[in-house]
Amino acid sequence: MLPQVLHRAYLRCPKMPQVSWDVLSSLTVMVVHYSFLYMIFAMPLTLSYRTTKVINFVHSNFITYGAYVAILLNGLYGNRNMLLAMASAFAIVGGIAVLNNIAVFEPLSRRGAKPVALMISSMGLWIFYKYLLYTIIDLATHFSRVNFVSYPKIVYEWIPSVSLDSVRLSSSFIATSLSAAAMIVGLYVLLEKTNLGRAMRAVSDNPILSEISGIPKRTVINLTWLIAGGIAGVGGVLWTSYAGAITPEAGDSMILQVFTVGFIGGLTSLTRTCIGAVLIASIENYGITLLNQFFRVETSYKPFLTFVTLITTLIVSPPLGAGGGLPYRLFRRVGKSA
Amino acid sequence: MPEFDLIGFLVQWLTVFGLYSILAITLNLEAGFAGLTNFGKVVFYGIGAYVGATLTTYLTLYLNNVDPFECPPYSIDGIVKLIELGGKSPSLSIGLLALSLLAAFIAAGSVGFLLTYPILRVGPAFVGFTLLSFGELMRIFLRHYEPVGGSKGLAAIPRPFGWVGDPRLSSFIFLLLVLGLVALTYIAMNKLTNSPMGRMLRAVRDDEIAALCLGKHVPGIKALTLFIGSGFSGMAGALMAYYFTSVNPDMFVPAVTFNVWAMVILGGMGNFTGSIIGVALFTLMDRLLAFITPALGVAVISPDYIRWMFVGLLIVVVLLFMPKGLLAERPLKTPALDEARKLLVEGGGGA
Amino acid sequence: MPNILEARDLAKYFGGVRALDGVTISVPERSIVGLIGPNGSGKTTLFNVVTGFYEPTRGEVLLKNNSGSMERIDGLNPNEVFLKGVVRTFQVPRLFTSLTVLENVLVTPPVQIGEKVLDAPFKSRWEKQERELAKKAVGLLKKFGMEKYVYSRITELSVAHIKLLETIRGLMTSAKLYLLDEPAAGVDYGVARELFNYIRGLREEGLTFLIVEHRLDVLMDYVDYVYVLHNGKLLSEGKPSEVVNDPKVIEAYIGG
Repeated sequence: MLPQVLHRAYLRCPKMPQVSWDVLSSLTVMVVHYSFLYMIFAMPLTLSYRTTKVINFVHSNFITYGAYVAILLNGLYGNRNMLLAMASAFAIVGGIAVLNNIAVFEPLSRRGAKPVALMISSMGLWIFYKYLLYTIIDLATHFSRVNFVSYPKIVYEWIPSVSLDSVRLSSSFIATSLSAAAMIVGLYVLLEKTNLGRAMRAVSDNPILSEISGIPKRTVINLTWLIAGGIAGVGGVLWTSYAGAITPEAGDSMILQVFTVGFIGGLTSLTRTCIGAVLIASIENYGITLLNQFFRVETSYKPFLTFVTLITTLIVSPPLGAGGGLPYRLFRRVGKSA
Repeated sequence: MPEFDLIGFLVQWLTVFGLYSILAITLNLEAGFAGLTNFGKVVFYGIGAYVGATLTTYLTLYLNNVDPFECPPYSIDGIVKLIELGGKSPSLSIGLLALSLLAAFIAAGSVGFLLTYPILRVGPAFVGFTLLSFGELMRIFLRHYEPVGGSKGLAAIPRPFGWVGDPRLSSFIFLLLVLGLVALTYIAMNKLTNSPMGRMLRAVRDDEIAALCLGKHVPGIKALTLFIGSGFSGMAGALMAYYFTSVNPDMFVPAVTFNVWAMVILGGMGNFTGSIIGVALFTLMDRLLAFITPALGVAVISPDYIRWMFVGLLIVVVLLFMPKGLLAERPLKTPALDEARKLLVEGGGGA
Repeated sequence: MPNILEARDLAKYFGGVRALDGVTISVPERSIVGLIGPNGSGKTTLFNVVTGFYEPTRGEVLLKNNSGSMERIDGLNPNEVFLKGVVRTFQVPRLFTSLTVLENVLVTPPVQIGEKVLDAPFKSRWEKQERELAKKAVGLLKKFGMEKYVYSRITELSVAHIKLLETIRGLMTSAKLYLLDEPAAGVDYGVARELFNYIRGLREEGLTFLIVEHRLDVLMDYVDYVYVLHNGKLLSEGKPSEVVNDPKVIEAYIGG
């Protein structure tokens, strides 16, 4: 299919178009913006996986629910205060994450269920939450006469936009970068400087020895879910200040990117997850712009670039430590150690 | 209430039941036996459906002396021509049906086989996720790929038994074909797994690292399992294309996959009979919902959403409270059992 | 006795961590060789490199093949190493929990007709072989006093029986060399000695053992030769009595 698309594109495009400076600079702003968003979406995924060992498909709902907390506050009560929306999203989504753990993941692990069973149960929860949200939205739409199924971008108050030379940094960009910075600093302080953080790391590194830290393992895991769910919910709020229209599919439409970013981090390293966020944001946006400019590839093929990155990651540097993995080499060198 | 047409109801229900049964049995082979978390079941179903639909529509036009590139089957002219020409000749219809089933098996199986390459070494989460996202990419591709009709898909696929004349009789013959394939799948999978191969698959599922250390070529076993499972799913897809006489990208959403997962988990992982019961319960529920929904009139809350919430909850509840499902996995039946019993009795050892 | 296994200057680095740093050992045929050392000294890494879990960063692993010459096996995948006759057990035993004891043993034989997809559906093609294998499996289980548990699930077995079963499993093939990772961990002293008596008996039948063990009180009575690892390097080697009295070894264990 690709050669044909490329060929057709080539015929339509006899001379190489120029990429102007304006295009390039605004594209770069977009890449930075997406990098920050993906960090906020994917870092809690890594955080929750490495401590709880649950591959959490509900993560996609976390983002959507965060966005809809902001949307419902805006649509029903006219809220335009981003901090209020973020605090509510953190509490509600974090609460949902803790609830999932108490009601489903904890009883399953206590019974000795395999990681696969945990993952499948998270898939069940994903479906449940997705259609629960649709139902809530239907009810809200019915009673308020506001269309919540496709909601326009929310313009929050007090957040400035900045123009530097020819580059305009939107208020969403400002909010996203500040939040990402706050999250990274916050996580660093939490994990490196506090007892709870040390306990969280102990649980992920060595579940058996983790009791030593003095904080019960149950509490550590519940707090991890609260933080992971909360941050993803805040990410959803930020999404409402950026996306053209928000739908109940918001989280699902980004699940490929978010999980790929997490997989690049091996679902264990927060630093590598950050790098993954920058990588995916760059590959997607620069990549599709190049392909579009030079080969007229439609921008809706953007996820293909992410998927190729995912497959490449799995083949070249498989995250074997996380979630199982087989000590099997596809390219083996018998008796040829370097 | 309209008059209840029991025969029509049964034929419809059983056809859908048959199609889903093939998916559920093969998913059970992949997930219940080999431990392959195939969250992309719909991919292989979709490939089969599109291969069947494309072959049938293009070849029907071509063999009736219509140039399918001048008058493609997704254009208005093509659809008119297809309705006019399709399903007239028994030999052509049956030939196309056989060709479609074969091609669907090979195409879907091969994609399954190739897709295992990047996921051979990684854990179940990555396997599930890669297959899930591949399905979404397939939909994006299909929506933009004109030769298979883009977002509108292909319609007016000639029915394989349209030449029979009586539509009720032709859908009944079609039902027999579907049920025949279900029986074939069920018997083949039971035979395949009640053997040393089934034992090896379960070993891989229980502990793939230990199986690898006992000399089993685990990646090859997984690839082969996905080839077989996907091939049969592809055939189910081709039959689905004939049943609905149309295909479009939005028929192949991840929800189809989760439906099948819910059926298999409810029925019991590792038990093919359980899967069939799971499918029967689910498809019956859907048929009944389809009858009840119009009677409810305009509701604020969509019954469809309630149904899906129920599916999601059901998966969680079964895993929590009934992890073995309705029918638990049964021990393997190989002659080894019989041989061991003989030896233990003769040798005087207790059993 | 000629060597069955040799590791020459074997090294494995993980990033900057030198888990194994130039270790040379040899295991003579029909011997029981111990591999000891404090936690994190590289014992399990050595096992992992020899059995194909990792590719070594440096060095080579040689195994005596059927024609009697030494053949490099480093870089092979774990399944291929097994097929060369090297069986490995794990610190935490890895058995197939949904299978019975008999089935666990029956999984092992490498060339089973009934494991091939085109033969599996046709019972007549593999029934004869299956019955022969069952005979052999039951014979083995009887020999080790496990005939009572033929139809039991793994979850119903004691720790000692689980460890024993993991070893028995390998006997279904033409295994030559066993790598046992802490066979006596988690069992009491008497059972540990019983396990080692079995191992000694198997040695008499021509098998070779390389054993990682923390229970030196048990191990030292059974091994012919001992290697001591410390920080990825060979600290000492020799007969058990020599090693136990080596001041470097005592210091490493106490300084830990």
